[in-house]
Formats: sequence, C-alpha cells, structure tokens
Amino acid sequence: MLNVTTKKSEFLKEEYYTYKHNSGLDVYVFQKKLSTSYALFATRYGSIDSKFKLEGDKDFTVVPDGIAHYLEHKLFENPNGEDTFTRYARYGANANAYTGNTMTAYLFSCTSNFKESLEILLDFVSTPYFTPETVEKEQGIIAQEIRMYDDHPSRKLYQMMLEALYEKHNVRINVAGTVESISHITADILYECYRVFYNLSNMMLIVCGDVSIDEVNEVCDKVLKEQAPANIIRDYPEEKAEVYQSRIECEMQVSKPLFAIGIKDVDIPDDPMERMKKSAAMDILNDVLFGKSGEFYNKLYEEGIISGSLDVGYGICKSYANNSIFGEGTDPDEVFERFKACVNDAKKTGLDREDFERSKRALYAAMIRWFDSTEDIANNFLQFKLDDGDLLDYADAIASVTYEDATVLLDATYKDEYYTLAIVKPLRTEGEQ
Amino acid sequence: MSLIKKRIADGINLNYIETDKFKTGSLSINFIAPLDSSSAAKNALIPNILMRGSKKYPNMAEINKKLDYLYASSLSARNMKRGEMQIFGLGAGMIDSAYAMNGEDIIAEVTDFVGEILFNPITNGNAFDTAYTESEKSNLIDAIKAKINNKTYYARQRCIQEMCKNERFGLDETGTVDDVTACTAENLFAHYKTALETYPVEIFFVGKCDIDALGEKLAEMFAKTNRKPIAIPKTEVIRSCDKPKTITEDMPVNQGKLTIGFRSGITLGDDDYPALMMFNEVFGGGVTSKLFMNVREKMSLCYYCASAPDATKGLLTVASGIEVDKRDIAEKAIFDQLEAVRAGDLTDEEITSARMGLVNNYRELTDSARGLETWYLGRALAGLSDTPDDVIEALSKVTRDDIVAAAKKASLDTVYFLNGTLKGATKNA
Repeated sequence: MLNVTTKKSEFLKEEYYTYKHNSGLDVYVFQKKLSTSYALFATRYGSIDSKFKLEGDKDFTVVPDGIAHYLEHKLFENPNGEDTFTRYARYGANANAYTGNTMTAYLFSCTSNFKESLEILLDFVSTPYFTPETVEKEQGIIAQEIRMYDDHPSRKLYQMMLEALYEKHNVRINVAGTVESISHITADILYECYRVFYNLSNMMLIVCGDVSIDEVNEVCDKVLKEQAPANIIRDYPEEKAEVYQSRIECEMQVSKPLFAIGIKDVDIPDDPMERMKKSAAMDILNDVLFGKSGEFYNKLYEEGIISGSLDVGYGICKSYANNSIFGEGTDPDEVFERFKACVNDAKKTGLDREDFERSKRALYAAMIRWFDSTEDIANNFLQFKLDDGDLLDYADAIASVTYEDATVLLDATYKDEYYTLAIVKPLRTEGEQ
Repeated sequence: MSLIKKRIADGINLNYIETDKFKTGSLSINFIAPLDSSSAAKNALIPNILMRGSKKYPNMAEINKKLDYLYASSLSARNMKRGEMQIFGLGAGMIDSAYAMNGEDIIAEVTDFVGEILFNPITNGNAFDTAYTESEKSNLIDAIKAKINNKTYYARQRCIQEMCKNERFGLDETGTVDDVTACTAENLFAHYKTALETYPVEIFFVGKCDIDALGEKLAEMFAKTNRKPIAIPKTEVIRSCDKPKTITEDMPVNQGKLTIGFRSGITLGDDDYPALMMFNEVFGGGVTSKLFMNVREKMSLCYYCASAPDATKGLLTVASGIEVDKRDIAEKAIFDQLEAVRAGDLTDEEITSARMGLVNNYRELTDSARGLETWYLGRALAGLSDTPDDVIEALSKVTRDDIVAAAKKASLDTVYFLNGTLKGATKNA
C-alpha cells in the first residue's frame, strides 16, 4: 500500500494526493477531469547554483554561468542517438523544458498514451548522456538563443534590473549565461552538475489530469531506481540590504523608453508559511498602491506619462525577494518620482481601509481562475512547492492578511535605499546629443 | 461540450459553448468588419475609448473597482485580423456564480456591466469625450510604433506587408499612424453608431449559464440599435506567385531574422486543408519537423526555425533567427527541407508523429475557453461548422501523396531578411 496523503481546499474545491516513491522521489497527483494531462519533473537546480558540493565532498565545485540551462538542453539526447522529442512524438505528446533561477523543469502534455509519455519523461531525465561532440554542437543553438534575448528589450530590462539590485547574489546572472561563458562548458562539468542536482531527493514529480495515483506509481516503479538521498551544500555570496546601483540604463532599438522600478527585499522569513503570507500581504499592498483601481496608475495613464499597463509583481523564495514595476513611457524619471511620492503619501496618511478590503477580496476570488487548466495548476503548484509552500494554502494566506500586516510591510519594504530604476532607451540617431 | 447558436437580432448571433469543465465563464462581443484602410484605425480605437469610461462608470478607476467587486472579473478590448476581416469588441472573464460569497448571479452582473460599457459611453453631443479620444489615439500610435520592439514579430509583419502590398491583407488591424491621427471624437462617434447598426456581430459565451436569460439580456441591449447589417466581402486569395522577391532591411540588432513567405494555395474550407496542416507539421510545425531537426539540431544554425500557415488568407511563413553571416546557408537549408517534403522524402514515422501531434493539439484546445472560442469564431467567420473532432477525422485520411501535393502547391512569394548590423553580429562563428 502506498502511504498517500490527501490535501484539500474547501474554498477552492480542489485536492491533490502526495506520497514518497520508493526511489526517494516526492510525487504529487492533482486529479482533474480535463482531456489534457500534464506532467512536470523538476529539480531544485537553477542558474543561481554556481558553487556547490555534496556533503562529504572535499571542495566546492564552481561552474560556468548558464550551465543549468545548458544541461536542460543536453538531457534531451539519449544513449541510442535518438532525440527525446522524437520519442514523445510517437505517442503524440507535446514536450518542453525550462530553466529558471532556482529550478529546471521537464514537462509534457498529452490527451492519450499518458503512461507511455510519463515513462519517457522519467527515463530521459534520469539517463544523462553527452559526448564532447554533442556538447559542442549545442553551443551554436544556445548562442542564438542568447542573442535572441539580447535583442529582446523587456528581457534585457529585467536582466538589467536584477544586475542593479544585486551586487553579488547569483540571481544577477543571466539564466542562459553568455556566449562566452557557455564556451567553457564540457561534458565532464555537465556530468558533475547532474550527479549533484539530479538526485531524486532534490526533485519532484507533479502530475495533473484525469490520471490515477496507481498509474503514476506503476510508471515510477518501472523507471526509477532507489537512490540514497543527497545533501547538497550550496554556497551563495552574502548580499547587502541596499541596492547595488540605484540607476541603470542602456540604448536599444525600441520606439519609446521601457522602464523597471525594482525594490530589493532581503527580509526573508525562514518559515515557508510565513513566506507565503508575506507574499500574499505584498500582493495586496501592491494592488492598493499601484493597482488598476488606484490613483497612482490612473493618473499616470490619464496624463499620458505611461502608455498601456503597468506590470507589478512580488517574487519571494528562500534565497531572494524583490518587487518590480514594469512599464513603458516617455519619462521614466517622472514615474519614479511619482512612485516615491505615492509610497510616502501612503506612509503619511495610512492605507485606505476600504481599498485594502477590496484588493484582498479581489485577489482571493482571482485564485479560482488558477484552476481551469492542468498546465496552470501544475506550474503554479511547482512554484509554491519549490519553496516548500503549497498552492492550496495560498488562498488561506491571502485571507489571513490583516490591514496591520500591510501597513508594517509598507514601512519596512518601501525605502529609498532599496530602489533601483532601470531604463531601456531608444537609440540616439546620429547627430543627436 | 456542445455548441448552441441563437440569432438574437438581425446579423447578431449568440454562440453558447456549453461546458462544465471550467470554474470560469467568458463572454465576448465580436464585431466583424471588412479590413479596410478607411475604418481599421477607427475600429481599433473604439473599444479602447469605450474602456475609458461610461455614464455610470466615468473613468478607469471606477471601471476597475467595479470589476474588483465582481469577484475580480476581467474586461478587455480586442482587435484582430482574420483574413481580410477585422474583429474588434470586448471580452470579459468571470468566475462561476457558484463561487459567489453572497449568492450573486455573477454572469448576469458582468453581462450588464459589459452592456453599460458598450452602449453608454461618455459623449459630448455627437462625439466621444475629447480627452479620452486624444489619449487613446496617442496610445494606439505608441502601440503601432512599438511593434518594432519585438524583432521576431516585426520581421514576420514586414514580410507579410511586402507580400500583400496590393491586397487588403497588407493592412494592419490598427491602421497606420496617419489613419489614427486623422480620427476625431466626432468621426469616431459616427463610426461607432455605424458599427452598432451595420457590422455583423458574433457573441460567444464559454462555460455554463442560463442561455435563454443571457440571450434575452443581450437582445434587449441591442434592441435600441437600428440594425441593417452589411455583407462582409470575402478574403481575396492569391494561390500562387510567379515573381518571388527578396527584401533586406538593416537594423542595429545582434541577430538576423529570416522570414520566408509562401502562397500556400490552400485555405480553411478547401478539401486539402487537412493536407496543408499535415504538410506544415512535417515541414516546420514543431520539434520533430524537418526544419527543427535539420536547421536547428543537425546544423546548429538557430534556436528556432518554424513554419506557420495562415489558412484564412492562404499564406505560409517560415521564421528563424540566425547569425547574419549564415543567411545564405540558412536560406538554402530551409528550401532543401521543403524540397525533401516535395520529393516525398518522409518516413512513416514522420507522418504518424505529425498526425498524432496535430490530433493532440486539437484535443487540447477543447480544454481552454480561449481555444474553444478561437476555433468556433474562426469557423463562423469562414462559414463553416466543423468541430475539432471532424478535423481529427479528416486528418486520419491524409496520405503521403496528399502531403506531397500540398507541399508542391506552396509557392515562394517573398524572402525578407532583417539584417542585424550591431558590431559583433558578423563575427565568424
């Protein structure tokens, strides 16, 4: 018998099952009566993990920037020379993978042959195979991926914001690395990264769809072997509370300036539930201050200082946290001044209680929309789980936020020394100063 | 899942896609206009101006507060091009009334709200509000100019503009900067009246609702307009090209963008449409296609190289991002793969995989409200009524010869290259 735990949310009318497979892998199954089944096999290994060792290893290993992403690409090759996409295609599945700052995820969606596709997923990720030749061949492909992003203004802006916020933290490293850094990647280093981070105790399997836990377990039994857990020691540089640079800009082929206001936050609770609660409180606070119903946004829009919407968000994980406001407009400095004024006014006069309640209620209701697609459920679930949180607890986290919580956060988070302004400006034409 | 179609007024249909798959519902009101330079900018602006304020909710802050109150419902302006038709209007998303805390009928309240925004704009005599009009003109001009920001999209758009220079399809669904500049609060309001009276309208609701009640509510809203719908001209389809052209434009970027435009010779209602879909899939549709497996995987020339059909207009485009000094090699590699398909150089596995991949995509689209709406709206515009299952059935009958025949129909029209001129972009790799 599997030792299965069920987790439920009464409000969301959703539930999932979880158990630890014999191999050491944590498995989560979210049953959903939709045609599309979706599976994610993920490891807690991303671009920030550039210095590490296993417990018992003598020295730390330091690796070139962009290697987690490179490894993601290379895992798609198989010992018999067959490409993983070709294997999936035999069963009609749609496959992909992505790498972030703290994770790498391999995924597929399908409407039939679920077990066959799941077997491929578990098999190719747990079977690394690269040679110097196949590693070399990937350089051209990833170099073009990097150059594509270099020409992408909003990607570039996000990257610049992180580089200005953080002096040493590895989150300032581009996920794909640089054309130069990836030229140092070899098959040997890839194998070493694989050995450390692709231990099943550092990974998880998330399945969402019209699928039973027994079906999932059957495939796990077939493919995964029992593995001793690994204790990974990651070495991250110390990071100060203040921003590294308060302003950063570049010129690109864009029609109008794009800007990002970044707000650094180094106050990260150790307890996962506290982190979720902080995240919920920050979402509410940001909606009150900078949301579509508020004065800050509407004045900027009505006066033509910004065109279109503002993208406001808070991200928090064990290792780093920040707020950001992205937008487009002729005068980013004016937006920045108004942002500071908005925060200072709120501090002086206090948050409007009615606004607080409205934002809280809207965010709470909006969570219901997260549960209409197996892809959304699996990916949102992963983001919470990576940080030891739980998607189904997030509605409760929102409900638990008080007016006082938001007020405390406003005072603690929004301070001049935590702000940076990043700008992508249009290229100056010749003759202009 | 089932589709119920109700006529609620002259030239206005309500399409109800009934499904209990979702916790949310979505409602959209789509005006169908001929794509034309005299009206494209106006049609694009009208939803944006409406979204600025109505008599009851006079500004965006009030509109957004109301949406917050309606359990974080969403309301957005839409504007797109389908063949030589322009589709514009409003779309709303809402949670199912079962989740309402105080037993409200969320669908009914959101529908009333959409009606208020659509039918009760702030006016000044026979004109829209001047400030809102000028502000939205300026935003639309910004959006037109900002198309240059996304180089992949920009290169494809430029290729199509050059291909279809002398066809209405060459027009963007936003109109040009000059078209937008020429709009006034008066001529826009006059056009708004015309749109309400003359454009066919396709309304969609995806989810679960009381369709009779919704139909009555919508019929009542439109009852005040004096409907005299116009016929929408068919999209002109040019099935082949005898004089292919090449266009190169410089831009200070790192990566070169190669876009190749073909006349596919096949459109949505044609018997060989399933063959076109199969041809596209084996040629450049996905990660097991010839373009991906060869131009990317074998030759390491690019990160992406993919083909996509536009079956409303009979086009097929191939797009890739490459080092600028690899342009000739990449172009030749793409045509080599096309020749391979035309020569029937296809394994059984390539054909089976392509079919299974397409079948999977058609089945997956029924799991999203947007996927369902896009499918049935596309069908309604083309005067078709087939379901994803019908196309799946048709795909099962496509043979290797059919694929080869479809590949042979594609004729080259335009090679467009966005030449990256930034220093370092031309280094020898």
